[in-house]
Amino acid sequence: MTRLHHMDSVKPYVWTVLGIALITAIGRLITPFFSPINVALLYLLPVLLGAVYWGHRVSLFGSFLGVLTFDFFFVPPVFSFTVSNIKDLFTFGVFLLVGIVTGSMATKIRNELEKAKEREKRLEALYSVGQQIAAKADLSEMLKTLSQTLSEAVGGQVALLMPATHSTALREVACYPCSMPFGDKEEAVMGWVLGHGRPAGRGTETLRRASPPIFPVKADNKTLGVLVVAIDSDGSAIPPDQQQAVEAFANLAGVAIVRVRLAEEAEQSRWLAESEKVHRALLLSVSHDLRTPLASITGGVTSLLLKEDVYDRKATRDLLDSIRQGASRLNRIVRNLLDMARFESGTLRLNREWCDVQDLVGVALRETEEILQGHKVGVAIPLDLPPVKADFGLLLHVMINLLENAGTHGEENGEISISASLGDGAIFVSVADQNPTIPRDEREHVFDKFYRLQHSGSENGTGLGLSICRAIMEAHGGMIWIDSLPGRGNRFTFALPMDEKPSEWEVEEGENHAA
Amino acid sequence: MPPEDTRILVVDDERQIRCMLKTTLAGNGYDIREAVSGHDALKETQLFHPDLIILDLGLPDLDGIEVIRRLREWTKVPVIVLTVREHESDKIEALDAGADDYVTKPFHMGELLARIRVALRYAAKSDDEPIFTLGKLKVDLARHQVAIGETEVDLTPTEYEILKFLALHAGRLVLHQDLLRAIRGPQRKDVHYLRVYIAQLRHKIEEDPNRPRYIVTEPGVGYRFGAMD
Repeated sequence: MTRLHHMDSVKPYVWTVLGIALITAIGRLITPFFSPINVALLYLLPVLLGAVYWGHRVSLFGSFLGVLTFDFFFVPPVFSFTVSNIKDLFTFGVFLLVGIVTGSMATKIRNELEKAKEREKRLEALYSVGQQIAAKADLSEMLKTLSQTLSEAVGGQVALLMPATHSTALREVACYPCSMPFGDKEEAVMGWVLGHGRPAGRGTETLRRASPPIFPVKADNKTLGVLVVAIDSDGSAIPPDQQQAVEAFANLAGVAIVRVRLAEEAEQSRWLAESEKVHRALLLSVSHDLRTPLASITGGVTSLLLKEDVYDRKATRDLLDSIRQGASRLNRIVRNLLDMARFESGTLRLNREWCDVQDLVGVALRETEEILQGHKVGVAIPLDLPPVKADFGLLLHVMINLLENAGTHGEENGEISISASLGDGAIFVSVADQNPTIPRDEREHVFDKFYRLQHSGSENGTGLGLSICRAIMEAHGGMIWIDSLPGRGNRFTFALPMDEKPSEWEVEEGENHAA
Repeated sequence: MPPEDTRILVVDDERQIRCMLKTTLAGNGYDIREAVSGHDALKETQLFHPDLIILDLGLPDLDGIEVIRRLREWTKVPVIVLTVREHESDKIEALDAGADDYVTKPFHMGELLARIRVALRYAAKSDDEPIFTLGKLKVDLARHQVAIGETEVDLTPTEYEILKFLALHAGRLVLHQDLLRAIRGPQRKDVHYLRVYIAQLRHKIEEDPNRPRYIVTEPGVGYRFGAMD
């Protein structure tokens, strides 16, 4: 390695010597025709080239060698270093001066060029990091790419550490390539950097011997974390020209962290505001809806307890009836609240099985017997309606909610008709009532949580039932909607997609299934 | 067995529920003892020798399911679960552990009384009656005949097996798996298969298959033959 390096550093001098030898040969050939001054100008060529390609040392070497060679081969007495004419000494002086000046200027230009290239590279890296910050939403992912970019730009190991939430202990959040174990000393320096917001370690003003260079990651005058940059294994200092780049990276990292944190906070507060709104509506609705049936229960019971013998048989019966109705209304509200809680908590898992719509309607009618008393309920389900894969328990809640809705939002003795049909890759089930038609502009809103019809006299339910129906249908990949019926009435329809057909259940024993 | 000689152990940690059950059941002539916890229930069962236990699942010390399991290690006393847990998996777990029936709170007293009567009758039954009647439906187990009023109903062998098993467990909750095992052998697990036969059976025996009265569905759990006592 060192020998190779050594050879590399010798090469420019060899080339210079060869160049001067060539010029000397050419010079000897043309001496009879040109004055020695012209030849002297030729010697400036290797000086210039050396300066451009290899720097001022080589060009200086070229200048001296050129002067000596010129003196030896061209200045009388030829083949001797002796100078007979004082004018020649002056020529040498000018030559050397020109060589040194051009050489150093060329070197300077060369250095400038290289620096510009370096800057461009770093700018490009910064630009790409900036783009990454804009594009990535995930903080840890972003910090990882950021440290990778920085590591490639400075050619060393990079680690980013941040204090864990609710503690001051630093935790590695990103590194590249990841093999940086830190000792107590390094950790102490990191703590200092975090506390003071200034760089420390090698090549900085503070704690130079304790650790590789460590930079603060700052934003809004707050130190969010520290950036450790180890150029090689013994953690030497960062060259001054790269230090700025590293600081720029640290700043970018700070901006990125703050940006993501702000986005997270905005999301959090939006969610909080939303859930607060829902909770307020819930409280309002629940306190009203739970207290109304409780009032009828308490009222009924206390009047019966107060004067047992005042009421005749019928009055007593009526009071008991209103107590029972209040209790079942409470039970319905609790059922819907529980359903909603299950949906909102995200713990709901569909238990899909083959469901027979007729069976579903049968159970729903049994469950709503009490509330549908006095209503005429018609059922029309085709005999050959295929089963549909769904969660029977949840479908039952949809059906019960629709029937309760039909039974409670209108006058008594209204007609309710349940129908089912197969069409277009889905099974459609409808519940139609003769209740006041829901205005067109309110039809979508009745499925919103806690929504109540603007001009509805009825105060039944929490306004939760239909929103739960919609949630259940959406969980099934189905739909639910309302049509108005000609004249008076509404028809609630839900559609369940028929994705698959039941397997080999039919005719297993060669039996005749014609019912 | 007349109600006066029938002892019922009520297990519930809520005083209000115990009080209400005690009043109603005693009013119906049953002899009532109360227990407030799982261990209490196990102890009282040994001391009191109840003919039936009404058991809450959410007890402070032992879970009700565990109480059923421990009871079943040594006694066949009918257990009716009375709980707020309404999920199908809870029902199946309780019944699998050995409970006889399952009633969810809030409940209708009429329903609970009917379930109590069914469970007691089933526990006391020595021989199967050859002829079973429910409303207009008549199932003659000896002659393999089913009739609605005077009209004989033509059933396929599987339909008949299902109806027979249900009739033998009249009023009781029959789990899908038990019914499948009874008609097909234990290897068959397809509940949908059962659903198809039940639908066919209803069309043959129910007056209105949209409002079944003889074969009632217990969602997600099974069927009950003749919900009305």
